[in-house]
Amino acid sequence: MSNYYNMPKLPTEASPKVEIFVDDKAVMVPGDTNLLEALKAVGIETPHVCYHPYLPVSGNCRQCLVEQEGPRGRMLVISCYTPVTPGMKIYTPASSARVKNARKATQEFMLVNHPLDCPICDKAGECTLQENYMECGQNESRLRPEYGKNYHGNPAHQFVDAKGQVRGGKHVDLGPRVLLDEERCVQCDRCVRFMRSIAGSEQLQLAGRADHTYITTFPGEKLDHEYDLCVTDVCPVGAMTAKYFRFQKRVWLLSHTPTVSMDDSLGANIWLDHADGRIYRVMPRCNPEVNRSWLSNTSRLAFQEFDKNRLPSMELHKVTFGNGKIAIVAGGTCTMEDLAAMKMLKESLGDRAELFGGSLLKVTAPDGIAKSGDPCANRAGMKLMGFADVSELLKRASEFETLFTVNANLFGEDANAAKVLEKINTRVALTPFDDETAKKASIAIGVRHWSEVQGTMVNSLNIVQKLSACPVCPDEGLKAPYAVVAFLAGEKLESAADAFKKVTEYVPAFAGLSYDTIKSTGKLLEGGNA
Amino acid sequence: MRVIKQRPMNWIERLYIFEAIRGLWTTLKHAARGLFRYETLPTISYPEGQPEIRNTYRAKHRLMLRPDGTPRCVACGMCAAACPAHCIFIEATQSDDPRIEKRVMRFDIDHLTCVFCGLCVEACPVDALRMDTKVISFEHRTREEFVSHLFDLTNWDPKDYPNDPQSQVAPGGTKNAEALKVWGMEVK
Repeated sequence: MSNYYNMPKLPTEASPKVEIFVDDKAVMVPGDTNLLEALKAVGIETPHVCYHPYLPVSGNCRQCLVEQEGPRGRMLVISCYTPVTPGMKIYTPASSARVKNARKATQEFMLVNHPLDCPICDKAGECTLQENYMECGQNESRLRPEYGKNYHGNPAHQFVDAKGQVRGGKHVDLGPRVLLDEERCVQCDRCVRFMRSIAGSEQLQLAGRADHTYITTFPGEKLDHEYDLCVTDVCPVGAMTAKYFRFQKRVWLLSHTPTVSMDDSLGANIWLDHADGRIYRVMPRCNPEVNRSWLSNTSRLAFQEFDKNRLPSMELHKVTFGNGKIAIVAGGTCTMEDLAAMKMLKESLGDRAELFGGSLLKVTAPDGIAKSGDPCANRAGMKLMGFADVSELLKRASEFETLFTVNANLFGEDANAAKVLEKINTRVALTPFDDETAKKASIAIGVRHWSEVQGTMVNSLNIVQKLSACPVCPDEGLKAPYAVVAFLAGEKLESAADAFKKVTEYVPAFAGLSYDTIKSTGKLLEGGNA
Repeated sequence: MRVIKQRPMNWIERLYIFEAIRGLWTTLKHAARGLFRYETLPTISYPEGQPEIRNTYRAKHRLMLRPDGTPRCVACGMCAAACPAHCIFIEATQSDDPRIEKRVMRFDIDHLTCVFCGLCVEACPVDALRMDTKVISFEHRTREEFVSHLFDLTNWDPKDYPNDPQSQVAPGGTKNAEALKVWGMEVK
């Protein structure tokens, strides 16, 4: 986490409780945080635009005003930048008409030049201004129709529309992935603060002064960063829009599935937003311990390949594995349930089978935001299950006669290193995609992708996280990898819960856990970091 | 609750024969009227005679047009959200006109599912959707043909709506040239 000097301090379970007086009533709130978070902890929501729990406080929107009793009487202060002190007296709109009016006036100013094109705005339905308007605005319009809304942004993007109104900046191309609508921007500077203190690359700037402020990049430069799509998440209005999702779907038509991104061992928590049987977008799911509110572009845009190049379902029959040694290889996207099924398969085959896991992709350094740099997502889980690393297999490839890969695209990941595996005659591949390994395999069996299965994974911080099945599987006949592997082992795993029971048998650290006892933000395993 | 007591039949009515003749007379009267004084009948002989429909009648939909002929629809999906029968399907895309953000790419109304409630017309924020075409009969050979597409919905003639100034703004209308001048204003 950045050590920016005014990064908000968020309350934790260990926060000391202090007594403050809200509307003359004594309440116990976390004492080491700001007033906005403290009020939130006791169930009082304060409308805000520029404040974001994982961005440095800027305090420019003035929407979160509360009244505080001070030496000079009751004064309006912004709750996002006021630290909680014991015994402070706070007045919210529930008791103070002044706070109510002040918030309403702020809201009115915010909307003075904000276009009311909610019907065509992609943010409509999840827009902070809409929420704030319902909560503290609801004022009658004092706007004179002969003046209309005025555009004060970048003069280079100004135009006059058919009604003779000054408008501008409807689609400013900020970079390869993000578009800016300058008319809708409320200058909260969240995106600027994100790029500055989280992404660490100051590519966005506020230009101009006062009413004429607008967001821009440096001349001749573009917004291009691994985390640049996060600015579309932090944007409270529809100013920053992602090109891939622009106009694709109205947000209220999307259903959300909470799951975990399996392309990195940090396991960024995500929402899969789906409708009509396909995923439309991937949004970060806030997890303070793992990825906070951030998600890398790689994880976010990976969903575009999920339903392409898939293997069809097929009927399975009893198989025999010959007499030679068998290498069972788990890929990085295998869940704990899949690993347990593979262990069952090994037990049914006896000593001639060996378990390997991992990926041939390079491990890079963690970036400190939402990626650990390790493309093998469930590496910690494989360690707990006792899987050897796949590099071991490459060294001893000549011993084996059968290669059984699950979700492991070894040939696609590193064709040169995987060349030794071509000497293994029988190659069985369980994979969702018709990838290199499936093409080289003697038998390729289609399975469900990780976005379509329920399961668990252990991330690089040793936190068990839950995956949920998103109902977007292109072929309903496809089965989850654990079900197929268990069938080949001659046993039956009806559901993910059954498979998870096997996991708790194999891994002592999982003892006593169930899907219900693992929270949505995961459960830290005993024994600290793996 | 109100109880209505039926008057008991008198003895002539109970004889049946006179009442039967009276009923036949009614039938005969209307049959004769259909033969000799056809125009006074309260019904119309439908396929040949068409009913008079007002423009407030909720008939088949149409999409209003801008002066340059593009549909006024901004693909916001409000009509689809308001539709109780879920018969409107909209896909949006980026507009080529720099002044306009969003344009409709696909706009389908399934008239087999439509209940003609008019909620979509009320929901439209830009007055793009109307139900004043006065088209009330839908006859097609396949189910697919009952789905009106964008071309079908925008393919109307301003001459059919002489009293509606908004329709006259569309290409071919009397006010089109005037509106086009304003619409095609130089973009600064």
